[in-house]
Amino acid sequence: MTWFMGIDIGSVYSKGVIIVDSELAAYHVIPSGANYQTAAETIRQELLRQLNLSQNDIADTVATGTGATNVTFASRQVSDIVCTARGINNVFPQARTAIEVAGQSTKAIRINEQGMVTNFTISEKCAAGSGRFIEVIANVLRINLKDFGPLSLKSRQPVTFGTGCAVFGESEAITRVAEGVPKEDIAAGVNKALASKISSLVKKIKLEEPCAICGGGALNTGLIKTVEQETNIKLLVPPQPQIITALGAAVIARTPKPNM
Amino acid sequence: MHFAGLDIGSTMTKVVLMDTTDRVLSAIKGPTGPEHRQLANEVMRMALEQANLQLDDISYIVATGYGRLNVPFADDQITELSCHARGVSSLFPNVRTAIDIGGQDAKCMKIEKGKLVDFAMNDKCAAGTGRFLEVTAATLGIRLEDMGNTSLKATKKIPISNLCTIFAQQEVVTLLSRGEKLEDIIAGLHDALASRVAALMRRLKVEPDVVLTGGVAKNIGMVKAMKENLGCELLVPEEPLLTGATGAAILAKEIYIKASAEGETISTKPRRLKKATFFS
Repeated sequence: MTWFMGIDIGSVYSKGVIIVDSELAAYHVIPSGANYQTAAETIRQELLRQLNLSQNDIADTVATGTGATNVTFASRQVSDIVCTARGINNVFPQARTAIEVAGQSTKAIRINEQGMVTNFTISEKCAAGSGRFIEVIANVLRINLKDFGPLSLKSRQPVTFGTGCAVFGESEAITRVAEGVPKEDIAAGVNKALASKISSLVKKIKLEEPCAICGGGALNTGLIKTVEQETNIKLLVPPQPQIITALGAAVIARTPKPNM
Repeated sequence: MHFAGLDIGSTMTKVVLMDTTDRVLSAIKGPTGPEHRQLANEVMRMALEQANLQLDDISYIVATGYGRLNVPFADDQITELSCHARGVSSLFPNVRTAIDIGGQDAKCMKIEKGKLVDFAMNDKCAAGTGRFLEVTAATLGIRLEDMGNTSLKATKKIPISNLCTIFAQQEVVTLLSRGEKLEDIIAGLHDALASRVAALMRRLKVEPDVVLTGGVAKNIGMVKAMKENLGCELLVPEEPLLTGATGAAILAKEIYIKASAEGETISTKPRRLKKATFFS
């Protein structure tokens, strides 16, 4: 068997996968922390441990993400846009658009049958347009990120945020908490604000269905539902949305190099 | 006769008491407080005490600013744009462009012969307001009021690549850990904010005299950065926080005197220093 590794060092989380043929064999996600090199090494050790492999068993490794250059054991670095597209194509070959909601940005990517990128757009460097907004408000509400989605789905009256800014949004959330507004209404309000930014981003590249959503933001079930409402389409959600880009990197590692 | 102007900002509440000759009898700045707008009566009480007046002595009271609708004893509410324009032109009769950078927004005003003719505003993104410096100062562990002087020691400006306040917060931590000097980082932050505000101002035509007000005008490093980014001289009032309240007091006088001259009866609110009941 031939094993391939993909490592995605993001601004907030680092992700790694090992694939064998086209199948996902192992994956691991950890906070990136202050040292990307350490994060990459930790993931590598854990992946190898899970499958009881040694480094020599890995035929090739591709690194991607903000900290890709810190993955010293990878043979090359590939842009995260390309990796996300390839990862989505691996899980949903029929998908023509991918939305990736990450910790520092949101990306909308058009993908062809071969899994190649035909067009893409990235959100402005604005926390309110990324998963970071959810983190900021989850912190105000003192709830775990994994509880954010289910909680928001209970809301019957989402609050409206007055600006498109996470800093002002944080103050607004604090005020709403002080006024006694239920947490679920605040959480649902944030999902709505972010979904509307995502929806206008996707319009820039003319969304073509089927459309998939991935990235850490896609772990938030409330956000997915709100994006579906905003865009008026049904989204494909991979079982492990956070590791799609790392998966794409591994798939690229498997692909003969001249094609890249 | 005496008149009062109250400017309830997001961070500070300001009160100016004046007589009919526009002489300032007292000027008080106090915190707006965490319980939004509830401290207006307290700041008003301090202003009256300083001027040795009673609330009953005030003929007309105008409130302005973010919290203006919730001052129970104010007779009238006027937008902060009108009050700022009036206040700035009373201090600088030749002003044609005024920029007020507060804790929650930035307002650029075009003024002709003392009247507001056009404006541009940012209240949507913290990175173009004083909040940008407030947040990053906290991250750097420096007091907001020390930022200006510290930045003057800078030997270079470190470019801040993130326009978003939240990401800039992360960026300054990275810069510190890389061993960059505090003063160089702060000079970079000032430049980042100044370039954003200058871009807002350029939506209107920037013509002299240009006046800078708001809490940010108290930061000497920001005044320098704004001058560099605009490429022109800047006038800064001695009390850059008080122009809104000053304008409100002058407008209070003008409304009252005009009504009296025309023989109209002007309605005023009960002269009781009541606490605003924002949450009820």
